[in-house]
Amino acid sequence: MKKWRFGLLVMAAFVMLVLAACTNSDPDAAPETDADADSQEEGEQQEAAVNEDGKVEIEFWHAMSGGGQESLDAIAEGFNESQDKYVVKPEFQGSYEELLTKLRSIGGTKDAPALMQVFEIGTKYMIDSGYIEPVQKFIDEDGYDLSQLEENILNYYSVDGELYSMPFNSSTPVLLYNKDAFREAGLDPEKAPETFADVIHASSQLKTDEMYGFSMLTYGWFFEELLATQGGLYVNEENGRAGNATEAVFNGPEGLNVFRFLDTMNKEGTFGNFGTNWDDIRAAFSSGKVAMYMDSSAGIANAIESSPFEVGAAYIPHADEVKRHGVIIGGASLWMSKGIADEEQQAAWEFMKYLTTPEIQAKWHLDTGYFAINPDAYEEDIVKEKWAEYPQFQVTVNQLQDTEPSVVTQGALISVFPESRQQIVTALENLYQGADPQQVLDEAVEGTNRAIEIANQTNQ
Amino acid sequence: MSTIREGAAQVPAEKRPGVWTRTRRGRTALLYLLPSFILFGVFVFYPMFRTIYLSFFLTDQRGDAAVFVGLDNYRYLLESAAFLNSAKATILFVLYTVPAGVVIALFLALLANEKLKGIGFFRTVYSSTMGVSVAAASVVWLFMFHPSIGMFNRFLALFDIGQIQWLLDPDWALFSVAISTIWMNTGFSFLILLGGLQNIDEHLYESAKIDGAGYFYQLRRITLPMLSPTLFFIITISLINAFQSFGQIDILTKGGPAQSTNLIVYSIYREAFVNYQFGTASAQAVFLFLCILVVTILQFKFGERKVHYQ
Amino acid sequence: MTMSLPKKLIFYTLLTISAIVLFFPIVYAFLISFMTGPELMQGKFLPESFHLDNYIKVFDRLPLLNYLLNSFIVSAGVMLGQLAVCSLAAYAFVFIPFKGRDFVFFLFISTMMIPWEATMIPNFFIIQNLNWLNTYQGLTLPFFALAFGTFLLRQHFKTIPKELHEAAQVAGLGPFAFFRRVVLPVSKTSLVTLGAYGFLTTWNMYLWPLLVTTNDSVRTVQIGLKQLQSQEVATDWGVVMAGVIVVIIPTLLLLFLGQKQLQKGLTQGALK
Repeated sequence: MKKWRFGLLVMAAFVMLVLAACTNSDPDAAPETDADADSQEEGEQQEAAVNEDGKVEIEFWHAMSGGGQESLDAIAEGFNESQDKYVVKPEFQGSYEELLTKLRSIGGTKDAPALMQVFEIGTKYMIDSGYIEPVQKFIDEDGYDLSQLEENILNYYSVDGELYSMPFNSSTPVLLYNKDAFREAGLDPEKAPETFADVIHASSQLKTDEMYGFSMLTYGWFFEELLATQGGLYVNEENGRAGNATEAVFNGPEGLNVFRFLDTMNKEGTFGNFGTNWDDIRAAFSSGKVAMYMDSSAGIANAIESSPFEVGAAYIPHADEVKRHGVIIGGASLWMSKGIADEEQQAAWEFMKYLTTPEIQAKWHLDTGYFAINPDAYEEDIVKEKWAEYPQFQVTVNQLQDTEPSVVTQGALISVFPESRQQIVTALENLYQGADPQQVLDEAVEGTNRAIEIANQTNQ
Repeated sequence: MSTIREGAAQVPAEKRPGVWTRTRRGRTALLYLLPSFILFGVFVFYPMFRTIYLSFFLTDQRGDAAVFVGLDNYRYLLESAAFLNSAKATILFVLYTVPAGVVIALFLALLANEKLKGIGFFRTVYSSTMGVSVAAASVVWLFMFHPSIGMFNRFLALFDIGQIQWLLDPDWALFSVAISTIWMNTGFSFLILLGGLQNIDEHLYESAKIDGAGYFYQLRRITLPMLSPTLFFIITISLINAFQSFGQIDILTKGGPAQSTNLIVYSIYREAFVNYQFGTASAQAVFLFLCILVVTILQFKFGERKVHYQ
Repeated sequence: MTMSLPKKLIFYTLLTISAIVLFFPIVYAFLISFMTGPELMQGKFLPESFHLDNYIKVFDRLPLLNYLLNSFIVSAGVMLGQLAVCSLAAYAFVFIPFKGRDFVFFLFISTMMIPWEATMIPNFFIIQNLNWLNTYQGLTLPFFALAFGTFLLRQHFKTIPKELHEAAQVAGLGPFAFFRRVVLPVSKTSLVTLGAYGFLTTWNMYLWPLLVTTNDSVRTVQIGLKQLQSQEVATDWGVVMAGVIVVIIPTLLLLFLGQKQLQKGLTQGALK
């Protein structure tokens, strides 16, 4: 017993220590940051960060790794050389999730960047956060002509007619297929399957010992797209665009269509499951393990280059009984911080404008495969040349431009989207293990609803 | 700090003379332990207390406690199939990696403990996996497990054996991650065990040899008992590491397929970083802490008894 | 001590097979680092030629030398910090029989069981409030106190004969002098082991350095590895593997060169 008494004493001493440490550097950040944010909102003028050359310097947080980062760095360099007032420093912050976690923690403090890239499903969170300045303000002040940008991309990031962030890297899903395999199976390589039934039929014909007919990355985004192209809503309140969504509705007939579609092929053995990793499914396609799969438009160039056969691109399939509604934009957009110096905001805005010029968009499009948000870029010579080489790009642009604008194709707005996508991934994985389509979908809806409920409960 | 020590010095000293001298050793010890206390306090215990505190709340978009829910987070966890699955996966993962990992490292250490020509080269190779970071190793293994172009499936194809979906089949994924984890940990365990083997007194073997004892008899009667403190140490470390494996899960499977590799640590990360629910994430963290605590206590209770200190 | 020939043969065979199996992933990564994208996608094992394009690309893409230097500073810093803090604590646990020692020791060990991921976010707030984002102390200080290190050194200090301690006291050596002049030199083995462990684990950290840095000034090399892999756009695996090789070479070299020293340290332990 004596031992323990001394232990308690040490514990007490130790707690005092901790308390002492805490009062010095109050790690309980919340009230402090709140105060910071408030004082900033009240218009206390901030000093702009000026570097030794007398230029205003801002940080630009992004989540582009690999080739995207390479291209982005080059663009920022181009911007810094194009004028002599501002310097933009791109800083990689990890995955979209990790970047957002950092933002949540230091949004509104002095460590926050002036400019940041946030993935499309973080849109709702950013709007609600109170740390950001809608770009609409600058568009109005500057008389910037929005009509030069792709309407179907702007739609996603506009809420109540106001554009909150500048679209940046944007992509849509696309169906890629192995034309050589089509020929061998006696299918017309110039006519890709259009409906779910077509795909199921083609898959069974394409299936060989070596090759599966169809595959799809186990990723929530593709489910959202297949749902939207049938006109199905993801959540209520008009996909969260008419008000705060309170319930997920993707387990309706449209959602079930998608799951049945996948289930049918899976049960017939014509569906190949290549997991959740983009590179895996691409390698499977390039090495002839699967004949058709859904990819991001940003992955086309690479798929064509690394495949030793002819690659076809087509619109994503839709259920037979409905007409095609089109696709939702994926990717990320650029947000501007609130409560920073005017010059810094100006710098961020100038960079956005630079970024959306046709020349830069043409370069971005060619480097990464993401869309040009400024369609004039497609008139640039370098793009035309590339398109002549890869006519598949044209398909993705057409698919986007054929999309009917509506709340369905605008995409859902919920703050818990990342969690919901995870629920879909689990549902798909269970489906591939033979679970009942309706049941796994219902479970995903349940999980999403719980997340929405908690979010609404804590944000009042 | 000085206040605490003075306080300790004055109050008892007035009432009971002699205590000052009697606690002298305690105070000296405190001096030596102080740096650790402060650092643990700020970077381990305080965050842990905060985690426990948050586990009774739902948190808002910024991660601050918003709604007090009492034990609801825990109740939710214990009823949630996903969490029970995580707990099961964690236990399985520990069972896959710890015994196999220790046995393999012991095997290698025994081999490399022989006095043979060029043994230094083998020792270097065996310890090399310690120099490969989890991030780097996972990237390489990700490639080896690749369903279509990975080394393993190409190798199986050579013998015309059916292909295995290493990381995609829920029945295989945890096993695959376990293999790569064992590989990553081998270097470290090997090095520690080899050090332990070299510490064993040569004379013990010599006298055994005179008695005509065979290799395996020596192994059982001399090597293993003498190695037991090192073995105990490496088992403890392996256990704790296994419970906390994170990097390889993040890179290899992200918790999938069908949640089969969603270990508790990874589930905490996802709950906190992706879903931003610190309340449930914290509850899971507390739960994991308790699990490791129980295992370690058991390990110390039953394990240390069997250990021979020289 | 000589072995019979067949026995030798068995040992060499086992040694060689184990070495091949264990070293294979590293060799594999090395080979891939010379391949081009299409070569890779077709699943070749040997590259067509050993050109250095991927390595040039890697150094071109990222300030890798800078990252390597940062990794080195951070790892060495943590190593030294851990050695100092842990050896002091371990000394107290072994040579100062104060009341409640077992309990305090248990308190220490219990920190080992706290999953780092669970405390990461509060820790991030602490670092942010101390204004330590993008600093070396933010990257190193949280790791100075290490239960594992204390445990390791305690195990070793325990084997130091009690008589030595008594003799030192008779000779009038104070506790700190005993610690510095007797305990530390005798325990070189464990100190080297702990040092190597601290250096390598710090070198290998990847989530924390990413969290507490927002620009390249103090970033470490593992983050570079993360930057090479893309999500939606195709990853250039050849370049990634070149990055892997660049990242592991310093630690492997250290291990290869330090192996002798480490081994000597371990054998010394046997002779004491």
